[in-house]
Amino acid sequence: MVEIKQISVKKKAYVVNDELAENIRNKMKTKNKRFFNVMGSIGSGKTLILERIAERLSPYYKVFVINGDVATTIDADRIAKCGATTVQINTGGGCHLTASLMQKEFDKINIDDYDIFFTENVGNLICPAAWDVGAAKNIVVVSITEGEYVIKKHPIIFKGAQIAVINKCDIEGEDFDSKTLVEDASKIKSDMEVICTSAKTKQGIDDLITALGIDIPKRE
Amino acid sequence: MHEYSLASAIVTQIEEIVEKYNVIRVKKIIVSASPYEMIIPDLLQEAYKIITHEMEKFKDSELLMEIKAAEITCIDCDYTGKPTEEGDPEFAYNFLCPKCGSRDTHINMKQMTIETVDLELSEE
Repeated sequence: MVEIKQISVKKKAYVVNDELAENIRNKMKTKNKRFFNVMGSIGSGKTLILERIAERLSPYYKVFVINGDVATTIDADRIAKCGATTVQINTGGGCHLTASLMQKEFDKINIDDYDIFFTENVGNLICPAAWDVGAAKNIVVVSITEGEYVIKKHPIIFKGAQIAVINKCDIEGEDFDSKTLVEDASKIKSDMEVICTSAKTKQGIDDLITALGIDIPKRE
Repeated sequence: MHEYSLASAIVTQIEEIVEKYNVIRVKKIIVSASPYEMIIPDLLQEAYKIITHEMEKFKDSELLMEIKAAEITCIDCDYTGKPTEEGDPEFAYNFLCPKCGSRDTHINMKQMTIETVDLELSEE
């Protein structure tokens, strides 16, 4: 004999990931560590920004970076040359990182050996938006070459971010304009911190570090 | 395709329920989500089929998604609940607060809930 039984579940689909993310966030806070999630399109300049941040912070802090890409260790190798300890996650097709992927990497190290943690999420403006990795702040990087409508077209990832970085401002001119992106980032979320950078020239990198709440000596 | 991760998260939770009962097969799972959660129901179902393809207890089961009302939180007045019907014409996902009229609102984009699961149980 068989019977059909309907079970009322009423549980959030994201609950396992979100509970783990909250656990990571609380653990980092308790240990006085900072953890930031850097998101953005392929080619927006996430890796070069993290290279600049690693160069700037590594004389004063121990920095750990978890890079997410479908394949290769190119990004982790690049940032490692700038003074950070890095690890590369290859998602093999996965379009975003998750709290459990973060936890697996944190389990392999002693958290106390480092001061500041970053993860560079897989490059896209859609999928990473829904998956909390446990960071204290989410940062979205867009470059002015992505077009003036890129923020309007991808509102969700900006809604979940605390900092919007408008990158490649060194090539601002007739063809590329940061004005609309800066305005849209503020309109989409009134408490958004908007930082204009050029990772190439290092413009705005110290402003971004300050927005992250990290103290560094001024450049000489 | 983040729907794959989402389908995987759903299956993991259903597997935990399956372990508690004398289940022959999972028949039907109903989930609910708002229209603003970046979920394409067809892709979610496709991902579910791929994940459960070789799982004996999930054979021929179906995953259905119901649409429920969106939920916003107003930054200005702390209202939490349904938005007005009127969204911002310029910025999608910026909804008007029905209590104070502010457009400075956050939309809950992770409302997806596993509502029910129908299980075929052995009475033995």
